[in-house]
Amino acid sequence: MSNNTYDAIVIGSGISGGWAAKELTEKGLKTIMLERGKNIEHIKDYVNANKGPWEFEHRGGRTQKMIEDYPVLKRDYPLNETNLDYWTNEKESPYTEIKRFDWFRGYHMGGRSLMWGRQSYRWHDTDFEANLKDGIGTDWPIRYKDLAPWYSHAEKFAGISGNRDGVPILPDGDFMPPMDMNIVEKDVQKRFKDFYKDARHFIIGRTANITVPHNNRTNCQYRNKCWLGCPFGAYFSTQSATLPAAMATGNLTVRPWSIVTKILYDKDTKKAKGVEVLDAETNKTYEFYAKIVFVNASALNSAWVLMNSATDVWEGGLGSSSGELGHNVMDHHLGVGAGGRIEGFEDKYTFGRRANGIYIPRYRNLNGEKRDYIRGFGYQGGGSREGWSRDIAELNIGGSFKDALSEPGSWNFGMGGFGETLPYHENRAYLDKTKKDKWGLPILAIDAECKDNERKMRIDMMNDAKEMLENAGVKDVNTYTSEPVLGRGIHEMGTARMGRDPKSSVLNEWNQVWDAKNVFVTDGAAMASAACQNPSLTYMALTARAADYAVKELKKGNI
Amino acid sequence: MNRRAAIRNMALIMGSAVVLPSCLHDDKGKAVVELKHLKIDADQEKLVNSLTETILPKTDTPGAAELGINLFVFKMLDDCTSKEQQADFITGLGGFADEAKKQMGKSFADGTDKERTAFVTQMEQHSKDKNYKDNAKSMAFYQMVKGQTIFGYTTSKFFMTKQVVYELVPGRYNAMYPAKKAMA
Repeated sequence: MSNNTYDAIVIGSGISGGWAAKELTEKGLKTIMLERGKNIEHIKDYVNANKGPWEFEHRGGRTQKMIEDYPVLKRDYPLNETNLDYWTNEKESPYTEIKRFDWFRGYHMGGRSLMWGRQSYRWHDTDFEANLKDGIGTDWPIRYKDLAPWYSHAEKFAGISGNRDGVPILPDGDFMPPMDMNIVEKDVQKRFKDFYKDARHFIIGRTANITVPHNNRTNCQYRNKCWLGCPFGAYFSTQSATLPAAMATGNLTVRPWSIVTKILYDKDTKKAKGVEVLDAETNKTYEFYAKIVFVNASALNSAWVLMNSATDVWEGGLGSSSGELGHNVMDHHLGVGAGGRIEGFEDKYTFGRRANGIYIPRYRNLNGEKRDYIRGFGYQGGGSREGWSRDIAELNIGGSFKDALSEPGSWNFGMGGFGETLPYHENRAYLDKTKKDKWGLPILAIDAECKDNERKMRIDMMNDAKEMLENAGVKDVNTYTSEPVLGRGIHEMGTARMGRDPKSSVLNEWNQVWDAKNVFVTDGAAMASAACQNPSLTYMALTARAADYAVKELKKGNI
Repeated sequence: MNRRAAIRNMALIMGSAVVLPSCLHDDKGKAVVELKHLKIDADQEKLVNSLTETILPKTDTPGAAELGINLFVFKMLDDCTSKEQQADFITGLGGFADEAKKQMGKSFADGTDKERTAFVTQMEQHSKDKNYKDNAKSMAFYQMVKGQTIFGYTTSKFFMTKQVVYELVPGRYNAMYPAKKAMA
């Protein structure tokens, strides 16, 4: 039995799980990190990372078989042949959509840290105060000052490149040198600044791609193949960053193929004593014991683990006493924006493939402005030159047409919005006991949708994009929008929210489950609101902060 | 065929630019290209092969046939299109063949470069004429082949290494690179 006993257990190996493992092991705790899927070894298992585009059988496209096998993934860009192995097998792990919810999952070592978008932004007090001010959901039990040092801690280790722009709503961080804007982006930026002065900002994206060597990782080589796994370790992932750091302590054990089915709750001590694991390969059940459990299975699956635990005490599972577990599902709504053509710069091109773009931070509903919706949105975008000339009306076939295909085409500029979604109690995930996955476990049912506030915001998101591009000199601007679908932002949040009161929240200010103080949830589940910034940097900071607290409490004998 | 082998074979096809001569067709008129779903005969295969070469002919640089783009077009149609699209492809192919024969007095594949180019140029003109609806099926077939031909060409090793600068590891980002150099 003693081989199954550790100081700490971490459930999940994605961005927040990797951080929990790193922080806990560096503080001396013998830790086991449980990953439900297969192992993916850094560099060695990035099988497609060094292939040219022509080496893929369908040049990166999707086959009919892939479309049949991945009915959810096919709904957006993730389904492609270059990294198919990184996405969850939907036949083995189904879920029920009461309303359409695009759940794009990665069940393997590193989780979605291998495929994430890497944009990394701090929150502002405006974000932490929003729920209180609007009387919505639950007030965040922390403010910016509580997280600021942990943002620094996360940025310094992860390696975030960015410019210190001095934008009030988007605090500057401890950045590596920023990536360059291309000539068209610089031109748009200049006109943008001339028009909007300091009311709106147009900045280079802040991304978890390192621009100088860092911790035995090579700086970004501008391959733009991040979603395949980086042989240079240039973007932050569990494999490139937190896992090697945790392994170096000698305190980490990693166990792939380990589906945590429940947290073992001890009624007498009112604490967790460990977890039950189903081996995904052998179907055998094991128990692991520890003083601390970190739940980092991704927002919806962390809720699943809690809902499946301590059901003899609380029917709705561990952490359900508030009635909020599994509720308040949030994401960022997107799929709305604008694009157009840039005149000039025909003699310029870009060399290298920059896996980053520009960012326009939130400007709506600030400084006293009141739209017909609350909160706001930001934009990601960029300028690029088409690879070949498409406006060759007279040349349709033949040798000259063939030659024209290798001429650079026109410069374009496009951008899309990322909008905040509100925490609605009725947007929820719950156990669907009528259906089982491959391992006989109950699956999740998800019942969540965008509502009036998001829909009204989207009108601004589309019209503002057009207006800003036109004011910045972009020609022939076209707008686009779409039916907002939750999940599509791949930023699931809110299912075990933090709060000040155990009656209205699942976690306290230190990410501790109110009902079991040695259980910490530090992934997207913990979020009390969504803001509009990409959330992963905040998960990293919350995780490091909670781990620090957990170890201190452990040493004091409080947990 | 497992994935690794498939990719290796594809790389061989794309890299070595081997086009099997027509004498390798057997007597039953069976197509040479191996397909899993799409059913085509030797004449249909020849038509698609010569159509891709008409769209992107050999000049002082290789054409579609030399680069194996025709095989790529079949691969994509076979693996990446639905049954309905494949049925439309076959129907459209038949229409295209009939129209070509009527106009050229011989099969499309047997036409000279000039005759084939004239016929396809006419297709292009029809495609721009909104009132012209006589050949919707053969037009759809043509657009499918053309789209995949261009996609196959612009993502081929030849194109990406010889026609435009593609480096697997650029190592840097130059935001103001002279266009002429990029298009060496």
